[in-house]
Amino acid sequence: MTLIRAKLLAAGIILAIAVGYLGLTGVSSGWVYFVDVDKYLADPQYKHQRVRIHGTVAAEGFEVSSAGLTANFRLAGNGGAVPVCYRGNIPDLFGVEKSVVVEGRADANGVFQADVLMTKCASKYEPGSPHEEKQP
Amino acid sequence: MTEIIGNLSLGLAVLLAAGAFVGALAAGKFESPQLLRLTRRLIGGVAALLTAASGALIAALLNNEFSNAYVASYTERALPFGYKLAAFWAGQEGSLLLWAWLLAVMAVIFAIVRRRDTGLFAAGALAPVAAILLFFSMLMLFAANPFRPAEVVPADGHGLNPMLQDPAMIAHPPMLFLGYAGYAFPFALMIGALVAGRKDNDWLAALRPWAIVSWLFLSIGILLGAQWAYVELGWGGYWAWDPVENASLLPWLTGTALLHSIMVQQHRGMFRKWNAFLIAVTFVLCVFGSYLTRSGVIQSVHAFGQSIIGTFFLAFLAVLAIVSAAVIAWRWPLLKPDRGLEGLVGREGFFLATNVLLLGMTLITLIGTIFPIISRVIASQEVTVGPPFYNKVVAPLGLLLVGLMAVGPLLSYGADAAKKLAKSIVIPAILAGLVVTGLWVWQGVHNGWALLAGAIATLGIAAVLIDLFKGLRRRVSETGEKPAVALVKLIDSTHRRYGGQTVHIGILMIALGVIGSSLFAVSDTPQLRPGESATVGGQKITFVKLDEKRFANYTAVEAEVILTTPAGKTSTLRPQRRFYDKSEQPNSEVAIESQLRRDVYVNLAGWEGGGAVTAIQVIVNPLVSLLWTGGLVLSIGGVFCLLPRFFRDATPAVARVEIKPVEIGRKRAVASVSHSF
Repeated sequence: MTLIRAKLLAAGIILAIAVGYLGLTGVSSGWVYFVDVDKYLADPQYKHQRVRIHGTVAAEGFEVSSAGLTANFRLAGNGGAVPVCYRGNIPDLFGVEKSVVVEGRADANGVFQADVLMTKCASKYEPGSPHEEKQP
Repeated sequence: MTEIIGNLSLGLAVLLAAGAFVGALAAGKFESPQLLRLTRRLIGGVAALLTAASGALIAALLNNEFSNAYVASYTERALPFGYKLAAFWAGQEGSLLLWAWLLAVMAVIFAIVRRRDTGLFAAGALAPVAAILLFFSMLMLFAANPFRPAEVVPADGHGLNPMLQDPAMIAHPPMLFLGYAGYAFPFALMIGALVAGRKDNDWLAALRPWAIVSWLFLSIGILLGAQWAYVELGWGGYWAWDPVENASLLPWLTGTALLHSIMVQQHRGMFRKWNAFLIAVTFVLCVFGSYLTRSGVIQSVHAFGQSIIGTFFLAFLAVLAIVSAAVIAWRWPLLKPDRGLEGLVGREGFFLATNVLLLGMTLITLIGTIFPIISRVIASQEVTVGPPFYNKVVAPLGLLLVGLMAVGPLLSYGADAAKKLAKSIVIPAILAGLVVTGLWVWQGVHNGWALLAGAIATLGIAAVLIDLFKGLRRRVSETGEKPAVALVKLIDSTHRRYGGQTVHIGILMIALGVIGSSLFAVSDTPQLRPGESATVGGQKITFVKLDEKRFANYTAVEAEVILTTPAGKTSTLRPQRRFYDKSEQPNSEVAIESQLRRDVYVNLAGWEGGGAVTAIQVIVNPLVSLLWTGGLVLSIGGVFCLLPRFFRDATPAVARVEIKPVEIGRKRAVASVSHSF
């Protein structure tokens, strides 16, 4: 009986270590800061890593090529704005004055190169299902 | 009129549910059968009233009563009938009414099925049911009333969100809510059994069908949600580890663990504490899922929707957790196991391992889902962990779990299980080796994960077939029946076992579908002029033209695309971009050519110059169809588990041995067949 307990304990510990290890590597590979435009502009550390930024699409400089699958726009916060270049499918809900989330990193010229663009949907739709247009 | 009926019904439902709760408590205190009967009738009354409220909302939706704020927000005159009906659960208030109504209907079934229960057990089970009904009725009356009058009565409604105008979306929420609501009853039975101090395991037999039905609805609901995401969101995937998706996965994981570990308690009298914990956690997670999707606490993009509903749910969650913990702690001595673990390789050990894995996956998914909250609290800095986190952590655990599941049918209870396994695994292992070799040599599959999945699937299917064959041979030699008759009667005699194995095959199919589509999908977005072609993943796509078409409540821009398969077969696909009258936003409608081996998924990504240049997103997605067919197999297996026996035969021992496996001794051969799996 005690042998079984010892074996069980050993198996449990091995499993716990494995899950813990997986969890840690998983967290570090999936770790992305989520900030708004103002916070992004305020802290230079965000310019050197992959981040997720939340802001509003400004009307000025808004340029979308739906066939070309690119969107160049300025993501505005309360103070400043970040120039964004997004490549990929343009979500249906994307447009000027829309509240969006982009994920990617800044290039050498300070342009935020995004490969994820998520749009907030019309606010009358509330619960029940994923709200966002997603990119893989 | 419908507003009066609705509000009146909700108000009376609150009173009756409160009455039922007090009645149940009093029935427990005074051990009064009359009070129990009264409680059951009051629950029936709540169900009748919520049915009336639901009827009133449906009538208002179908009759375009825009004086009702909910109707004005979620429907419009031109909306097709089916979607008008689905608008019932398109918004917060309506979906809560649906939850509550389904719960009430199931509560009536519960009260009828369990009408012979007496004393503290019955009272202890009815009290939580009444309390949950009371919570939902109050929630609607005070925080999310679907019968609020509109401030200004519009000439036409705002219309249903285009993303919800999809057949899978009509069925997805009710299925999910049936699953969520269903787990209230295992919870209620456990509270009843613990309060009554029951030491036996018979109440688990009463719990089992509820656990299976809820699990089945939850599974179907999740798969329909995945299907909806696949056809409606237009990115070619079906699962994005979105908080809302995760919220439905969490109770599914613990519910799956529960289905297996109650068997160990039934057969071996073990895992009692664990089961009590799982039952409570599963229901709490169902409510937590509703909280997460409704409170706006996680969806950081969605700053709106911070309503008091979240507070209601949070309070309810706290009450549920505290009550469950208190009752389990109070009855802790009652939950001692009958025996210790005899080996790690037998069924008990494997069930333990699967349980630990499922719980580990639950924990990791939960942590990932609420990571933004955790990081906000701990580091006052919001951090999200995206799909890479889940894919790295949950996926390997999932594959390991599926591996254990595949070996399942080869396992037996008791100390000599390891020896038996070593003998019986030989043939399935050889077959798995052959399949892996075949995949490597003839299919050119060199990806380790894919090969492993192929091996596991082969092992699993072989194990099920060998198990069936062994049972059949035994039955033929014992009864002298013809093989065909013996096969039917064998399967009939143990629905649970073969139903369960059918579910496992469904899960294996889904696992293959997930692995195939996530490892081998090929995606490209060629920009084509009319008449031009591009080849993606061996599939040739020719863009013909762009058209504009008018439908009931939207105008569609439609691309005509000809797909030519490597075999030379052609078909026409028509992906659309729809512009709904009542929505500022266009909505993509993908076109899919589905085959067993692969889907070709075509999305109209964009165009310029009225179709002079058109971007067509093409995704060649291998094995996706296995997800849906696997779901079908899983459902059939689940329903089969619940069916009663069709034939009675001359060996009733089989059915009876099952309940008291302790006595079987030399009859082990027969008993092992009857142990459901």
